[in-house]
Amino acid sequence: MIEIEANPWQTMVLHAERLYPHECCGAMLGHSQGANKIVTEAVPLENAYAGKQHDRYELRPEDLLAADKAARARGLDLIGIFHSHPDCDAYFSETDLKNSCPWYSFVVLSIQNGKFDHANSFLPDLDQTAAEPEEMIWPRS
Amino acid sequence: MAKILIPTALRQFTEQSDAVEVSGATVAEALNALTARFPEIKKNLFNDQGKLRSFVNVYVNDEDIRYLDKSDTKLEGSEIVSIVPSIAGGTTAVEEQAPALTNDEIARFSRHLILPEVGMQGQTKLKHAKVAMIGAGGLGAPLGLYLAAAGVGRIGLVDFDVVDVSNLQRQVIHGTSDIGRKKLDSAADRMTDINPNIRIDKFDTGLTSENALEILRDYDIVVDGTDNFPTRYLVNDACVILKKPNVYGSIFRFEGQATVFAYEDGPCYRCLYPEPPPPGLVPSCAEGGVLGILPGVIGVIQATEAVKIILGIGETLKGRLLLYDALGMKFRELKLRRDKDCPVCGDHPTVTKLIDYQQFCGIKPMSNEAPAVSGVIDAIELKQKIDRGDKFVLLDVREPHEYQIARIPGSILIPLGDLPKRLSELDKNADIVAQCKSGGRSQKAVDLLKQNGFQNVRNMTGGITAWSDKVDPSVPKY
Repeated sequence: MIEIEANPWQTMVLHAERLYPHECCGAMLGHSQGANKIVTEAVPLENAYAGKQHDRYELRPEDLLAADKAARARGLDLIGIFHSHPDCDAYFSETDLKNSCPWYSFVVLSIQNGKFDHANSFLPDLDQTAAEPEEMIWPRS
Repeated sequence: MAKILIPTALRQFTEQSDAVEVSGATVAEALNALTARFPEIKKNLFNDQGKLRSFVNVYVNDEDIRYLDKSDTKLEGSEIVSIVPSIAGGTTAVEEQAPALTNDEIARFSRHLILPEVGMQGQTKLKHAKVAMIGAGGLGAPLGLYLAAAGVGRIGLVDFDVVDVSNLQRQVIHGTSDIGRKKLDSAADRMTDINPNIRIDKFDTGLTSENALEILRDYDIVVDGTDNFPTRYLVNDACVILKKPNVYGSIFRFEGQATVFAYEDGPCYRCLYPEPPPPGLVPSCAEGGVLGILPGVIGVIQATEAVKIILGIGETLKGRLLLYDALGMKFRELKLRRDKDCPVCGDHPTVTKLIDYQQFCGIKPMSNEAPAVSGVIDAIELKQKIDRGDKFVLLDVREPHEYQIARIPGSILIPLGDLPKRLSELDKNADIVAQCKSGGRSQKAVDLLKQNGFQNVRNMTGGITAWSDKVDPSVPKY
């Protein structure tokens, strides 16, 4: 289960809406205890995909490394990655799966007509052949 | 000892340590030491063949080992080794479906492949790209040649015209031996000769409101090489509706323009020109002339933009109108913005389907038979009138340089633009026949004369072109 606090949640939604109609991406920092995670901070990262970013994103490993370092420096862990699907449901696509990794929660935000619509979290397996949905709690107000 | 930082998710295998000190002279040895100590971590980093998993990147201090000596990268003992996954995603899966290039194609495109910005991935994108070209004329000629040569896998050609000798001054995709052939066939032959691997879809038709969406739907990018306003608005609206980038170019005399419309969040043609100019105000190339090389420059710019959009590299002309002046040899650019009140691409569009663009541009439908109205005279009747020895004024309203190319004997020259201030040279009661190249300008002259009280004025339909066709073939056509 992954719980996202109000502050990081607002950061994620704003980032996704601001980059619409492009896909956005970023890192989620917080604490984890076994399968229970709590996100206390969200870090927007640049979408480094070199083509049309309507339906693709790419995280620069250097950026992820920097986010991980920053997290460690503040006693936090890098526990998840978020990205948006503009005008598309928050599902874990074939491309998402193939380019994922099993170490993080992957939160997908569906942005419809520029506004947040819904979100889901996924846990990919080791060989990137399947991802199981993860229960997610976020501030609904 | 080098220090390996452990990602959160893997700490369950390292007794919750977030960093592990290991000894090893290379990255491979250090990772082996790590997995020897914590065997459970191994399957997270390596696949069954013992290779690092595709998503695993290893950094020594801040450098990716792919750009050092990979697994053999030396460690002196004080480095920090980080394990960083590569992560990407998206809702489409383009590359996964794309078959690789053949060896022939690799040889053919070697100069592309060694550009890191293109490479195998980019050339494969070109191979799978689908571009619709509207018109195989002046702009279409360089476009067709270069898009075929660049390896754009599928090109749709829309044209209904036939190669005429007067095209060859600029439409370099056609040759003298192609005169009289369909431009579609002539262009497709040349493009296939350049690159036999491409697929060319021929649409032997004009683009209309009825067929545009159907034709353009299958393509990724539309390149507009037309020279008339109704088609320009039609292509624009269709591209906005279909959400396809419209690579725009236009040419006139010595000046050209290019930009990319309806691309991402950029403007469309209607944001720039919400309304068409009144018919006849802006002359076509046939009326106004065009430097033969000009469409070469503009068409090549359009081809460049199309290829950049396909590859996803560089900065396109989206939001910038590029102006080219061949005489001054100057490029300038104007900033364009999407108009939120644009009737097509604005926030609340009022045009959501294709309309009648001839009517929108104020052009009356052409009928096959000349209307039986008084006030016109055709070439044969004019010849009979001259032969009868009628006393009348044959008023040529073309430009002086056109008059030098060819003229009908007995005509007097007053260019249309000079006519308002030279009315006094004409007798209001005289029998006047106005004539130009093909009948457009002379009709305007007739209207002007009638408004100024001239009673007996007629327009010569078809102009000097019809005279050459029907009366005197020794008069050159231009």
